[in-house]
Amino acid sequence: MTVPRWTAAALAAAGIAAVVAAPYVLPSFAVYLLTLTFIAALLAGSVNLLAGLAGLVSIGHAGIAAAGAYGVAWAAVHDRGIGAQLGVAAALTLAVSVVYALTTMRTSGIVFLMITLALGMTVFGLALKLSSVTGGQNGLTGIGRPQAVDEWWQFYFFTAAVFGLCLVALAVINRSPFGLMLRGIRESPSRMTSLGYSVTTAKFVAVVLSGAFAGCAGVLLVWNSEFMSPSVASFPRSALAVVMVILGGTGTLLGPLVGAGIVVAGEYWLSSYVERWQTVLGAVFILVVLYAPRGVVGTIAALPRRSRKEGT
Amino acid sequence: MSLDELALQALNGLSFGALLFLLASGFTLVFGLMKIVNLAHGAFYLVGGYVGIATFGATRSFPVAVLAGAATAAVFGLASERLLLRRVRGQELPEVLLTVGIALIIADGCLALFGGNPRSIPIPTPLAGSVRLGSYAYPAYRLFVIALAVTVGVALYVVQHRTRLGALIRAGVDDREIAAAMGINVPRVFTAMFVFGGALAGLAGVVAAGLLTLRPGADTDILLFALVVVVIGGLGSLQGAAVGSALIGLVDAFSKVWVPELSYFAVFAPMAIILMFRPAGLFARSRA
Amino acid sequence: MIPASWTGRRRVARLLLLVAALALAVSACAPDEGGGGGGDSAGGTVKVGFISPVTGFVAALGTDMRRGWEMYWQQNGAKVGDVTVQTVFEDDTGDPEVALTKARRLVEQEQVQLVAGPILANTAYAVAGYVAGRGLPTLQMTGADDLTQRKYDPHVLRVGYTSSQSNFPAGKWAYDQGHRTAVTICPDYAFGWESCGGFVSAFVDAGGTIKRQVWHPLGTQDFSTYVSQARQANPDVVFVGSAGGPDAILFYKAWTGFGLKDKIPLVGNCCFADQVFLREVGDEALGLQSFTYWVEGRDSEVVQRFVQAYEQQHNEIPSLYAAGAFMMAQVTAEALKKTGGKIEGEEFINAARQVSLSDSLYGALTFDDTNNVVGPVYQTRIAKRDDGTLWSVVENTFPEVSQFGTEGKEAFLQHPVFSRDYTGQ
Repeated sequence: MTVPRWTAAALAAAGIAAVVAAPYVLPSFAVYLLTLTFIAALLAGSVNLLAGLAGLVSIGHAGIAAAGAYGVAWAAVHDRGIGAQLGVAAALTLAVSVVYALTTMRTSGIVFLMITLALGMTVFGLALKLSSVTGGQNGLTGIGRPQAVDEWWQFYFFTAAVFGLCLVALAVINRSPFGLMLRGIRESPSRMTSLGYSVTTAKFVAVVLSGAFAGCAGVLLVWNSEFMSPSVASFPRSALAVVMVILGGTGTLLGPLVGAGIVVAGEYWLSSYVERWQTVLGAVFILVVLYAPRGVVGTIAALPRRSRKEGT
Repeated sequence: MSLDELALQALNGLSFGALLFLLASGFTLVFGLMKIVNLAHGAFYLVGGYVGIATFGATRSFPVAVLAGAATAAVFGLASERLLLRRVRGQELPEVLLTVGIALIIADGCLALFGGNPRSIPIPTPLAGSVRLGSYAYPAYRLFVIALAVTVGVALYVVQHRTRLGALIRAGVDDREIAAAMGINVPRVFTAMFVFGGALAGLAGVVAAGLLTLRPGADTDILLFALVVVVIGGLGSLQGAAVGSALIGLVDAFSKVWVPELSYFAVFAPMAIILMFRPAGLFARSRA
Repeated sequence: MIPASWTGRRRVARLLLLVAALALAVSACAPDEGGGGGGDSAGGTVKVGFISPVTGFVAALGTDMRRGWEMYWQQNGAKVGDVTVQTVFEDDTGDPEVALTKARRLVEQEQVQLVAGPILANTAYAVAGYVAGRGLPTLQMTGADDLTQRKYDPHVLRVGYTSSQSNFPAGKWAYDQGHRTAVTICPDYAFGWESCGGFVSAFVDAGGTIKRQVWHPLGTQDFSTYVSQARQANPDVVFVGSAGGPDAILFYKAWTGFGLKDKIPLVGNCCFADQVFLREVGDEALGLQSFTYWVEGRDSEVVQRFVQAYEQQHNEIPSLYAAGAFMMAQVTAEALKKTGGKIEGEEFINAARQVSLSDSLYGALTFDDTNNVVGPVYQTRIAKRDDGTLWSVVENTFPEVSQFGTEGKEAFLQHPVFSRDYTGQ
């Protein structure tokens, strides 16, 4: 997006200010919804990394998030401290991401999509099956947040901070040589190979990297709910992550956040007031596609270019 | 496992596979021609099925119910294609989101109109009995579903390869521009195909209502199966859809007997294996 | 207009750093507590939050629950003594994350003093965990055994039976009928394990043998494999522990489709042959036997008044989900009478536990000391009413059945909760 640096900084500052001010001006439930939005945006962001840069759409990333979440949940239920919780979560996230990466690194397009779908369903099925470890369908209760961020507003700031850091990381990856390589792979894998790059290695790294972000989302999710069940890995969750990415604008930095905002608003806020909220949400999707085909952020990002052209 | 048992399970698998074929064939034809992954296909199935159930309740006639269901789904297909999909032709991800939105609206509409109770069609008398198979009495309706799927499959094949209409469609698939240059009204062919795909989905829904039950969420459940079938068979391939649905139906049935713990993932295992060796599916069309 | 030095990179970085520092400083101060309910009723109104899945795959259950709850207040008035009961409804769509968020909304935004529901075990655990953690009382109607056993919490009261509870009499009865071998067919998750566990433990205790236990995944489309497995084992009796809905309907279709209806005796659990099932299956279900706690055709004034009123309003016979929610409302009202209109955490639950009814939709019931119903279990049969619709009627009554079966609390809690590893044998 070609916006003057001063404007971008001002917008960023305004955004940060709004995020910080939220718990002081909004009711606690609204802040809870914002927390949910950040978490959903993080998962969507992990999907966006693959979809936006490498053109690989994964419809099973909720499975990776669930792996991280179950790591924390299991450790917490067995009375382990934060260090152990994060350790188990990291190990599980890495293991699952590697499986995703190994099975998909030679594929692309629809095949990539279907394999990630299958993997997500496998994680879901395992979560149901291994009930002595995961609590099965009933799930696991009594998972406490870390003491330091136990209060609702503390956890909100924590989530916002983690999201912010991840956003910066995603931006860095975007502009890095690795990001360029991924974009090159999307445009023409054969060209990249002839230039000497290993396409499969790059894809492998990309999937594991995106898995890391998904795992973060999972950890935040389970700490937020203080409850864990297989539904976190379900197909609708993975599908919604993809929807959020498209809604916001695939490949844009803030797209996932906007997309997450729309879906969370529909699922958790509108549903309390409108019985046919799913129809409304579906209509919103359609309207965005028709009038903002590059996604909300994508379409906004394209505006200055258009108006400048007209002015010439 | 005795031979009778084997035959029983095989028929179970094939009858479920037959249903999957009715659904997957429409899906794969739409993709083959228009390159659209229509995620509203499950919703067309659902609304067609519900309308079929309601029609059967009113008329007590199964053929009329099937017609009503197929027609309803076809209408939704028409509306979706002409009013919405046409405007984002060629952009993959927007198309996906669009069909998701359509699916949400149709499914929610079904919930509002037909309620949350699981619904089915009480099988009409000529098909309600059982047929003697060895020492078992096998439900006749399931055999009917297999016969129907075979008939539809053969009809589709004949149309595709032996008629002018089929030639038109194949031309549109192979090379859109040349086909248009030769005077074929490509947009109209596209619309017709999408409507036809919808009708097939609606037909599948009504047929399914006699075999399973329809309820909120049934659209997503069956869509997943259809996706797997179509990917195994090769997107756009009718033969692929046939082989894929038979395979998945059989895997589903036998895994429930032999490895019920794993029946959840069982359906994905053949998909994973096939994709490893033939990433484009069993009957992939080679694109120029 | 803007000095060139201002647009420099360093300036931007400094600005952002300033904002970040401010942010950190501000975030160390706690804002006002935004939520929290509980306490005395404000101005004679008591606010109750009611969560049930009105959309999603169990939409039928959630809708019935709302109707049952509302019916109680319609019939008895929304006033209990001086206090008016106001309900706020939420939809949990059958998903635990959504259920939790809605519970939070009810507690923090709507400031409810009591939360009732939801129904699915995982959503119930999530909600009960949160609500109890806030020190507020919650009434549940889910069957999840451990909610009032190994996971007992003094803020949680179950107005209903555990998943295994109503099947203890079934197991004993089956043996007393002369059946010596049985096959069980239950869904492969907690509700199924617990339902079968109840039957199996009682049947085996009485001296019977289980020939085979068939476990099917939830949402099975096609039951022919499972039915033929049961048939192959050739038992004296088959017990089906269904959660109702499509699974029950599809199972029964397969059962009758394979001609087993008159060949092997079939016994259902609480939730197998419910109204949802009967509406779809129709006359094929006549004579079907079950063990349950809600009998629409029971000859009791309370039951018939409810059924008539419900039918008049909603054009269908009330299901066990409507009945269960009605019971939750009734216990709420009764407890309010005891507390004089106040809802205060554990005390409200203590009062609810004291509720003792000589007759109700479920019959004569009391609560045990882990907040679960002790009440009758009925052996029922599907019959036709005068107007041709189907409902269940009582054949036998087994009074005062406890969630601990015949073992008693200590012995029962010695063994783990029913699962694939511990099936009651």
